[in-house]
Amino acid sequence: MTTGISLVRENAEALQPPRTLWVPFPLGRPLGTPNDVEFQQRVISAALDLLNREHGPVLEDFPEDIDASQFGPLSCPVSFKQTEPQTDAWPERLRREIAELKPWYDEGARRRRRTTVGVSPLDMQANADFVGQAVHARGFSKEDIVTLKLAVEDLKAFYSEALTARPGPHDADAVMKILWYDTFLGEALHELHEICRNDESLKLLTLFLLPRSVQHDD
Amino acid sequence: MLGKNLAPLGPLPWVRSKKPLSQQKIALITTAGLHVRDDDKFAFTDASYRVIPRELRGDDLLMSHTSVNFDRIGFAEDVNVVFPIDRFRELQESGAIGSLANNHYSFMGAGLLPDAYEASVRPLAEIMRNEEVDVAFLTPV
Repeated sequence: MTTGISLVRENAEALQPPRTLWVPFPLGRPLGTPNDVEFQQRVISAALDLLNREHGPVLEDFPEDIDASQFGPLSCPVSFKQTEPQTDAWPERLRREIAELKPWYDEGARRRRRTTVGVSPLDMQANADFVGQAVHARGFSKEDIVTLKLAVEDLKAFYSEALTARPGPHDADAVMKILWYDTFLGEALHELHEICRNDESLKLLTLFLLPRSVQHDD
Repeated sequence: MLGKNLAPLGPLPWVRSKKPLSQQKIALITTAGLHVRDDDKFAFTDASYRVIPRELRGDDLLMSHTSVNFDRIGFAEDVNVVFPIDRFRELQESGAIGSLANNHYSFMGAGLLPDAYEASVRPLAEIMRNEEVDVAFLTPV
């Protein structure tokens, strides 16, 4: 038997799996709220309860939403782009930004006792160099697409973990707004997106660099 | 898959529960592109799966999902918001569920339609059947 959660009601309606609990939470958070054991257990309990239905397919809605009022204003630990001369090359800009964020990344990793950084085979400075060099050179080899994607993922994880080093709850939208619009990394990724969009051999990467919500602002 | 017009998966494989939840063995299956830190990352499009051993700490999981259109901060804060392994351990300890399977499984749900996963899923279903798993608990991302 299967039972499970869906974040996209339309897909569950169309695919008709045997038992589905639709939840109204943001994509990326099928259990709702981080570190809220009771809330997560209520979601699981509702999905497991579907196993008792006599007939299917079953698609039911979870009656609660996450409490958005829990998010306070985000206090950013670093002032971005304040001291960097604009003439710096991209690798140096990113390297310095990473050096500023490193104590906060470490603090966050200590608090959580884990990190989600680690999909790239490169260390963080090398990730910065790889991305920075691609932007600086206004292009890169098609063979480097996978390496670049993994470098970008680790950089984003490093930045977001540093920005959320202090105990939450954190407003994910506010954190990502800082990342995309206030940091050199965000600026570099917008540049990289533009470079890929204008190069047929690199166009694949445009799907995997910027979220749709950010692309709308271009 | 957002916004795609999808056909039903096929004839409904409806199986009724034959025993109480407190006697059932449960495996978790996620499409969040999770894997053990040293395992192969998921490719841009990838219908294969990774094994997540029962004893693994959720904190040892990484995510190499292709999509950039979902929040990852929640996962960084608490693995259970994506992969509720600690919650299911609590259910096992309290006796609410019978047991957890020896392994859980992770797919990466992006870039492919459901049909593409069938070649991986059918043998996996056989593996789970041989282990006498009663319930697969499915979570997206």
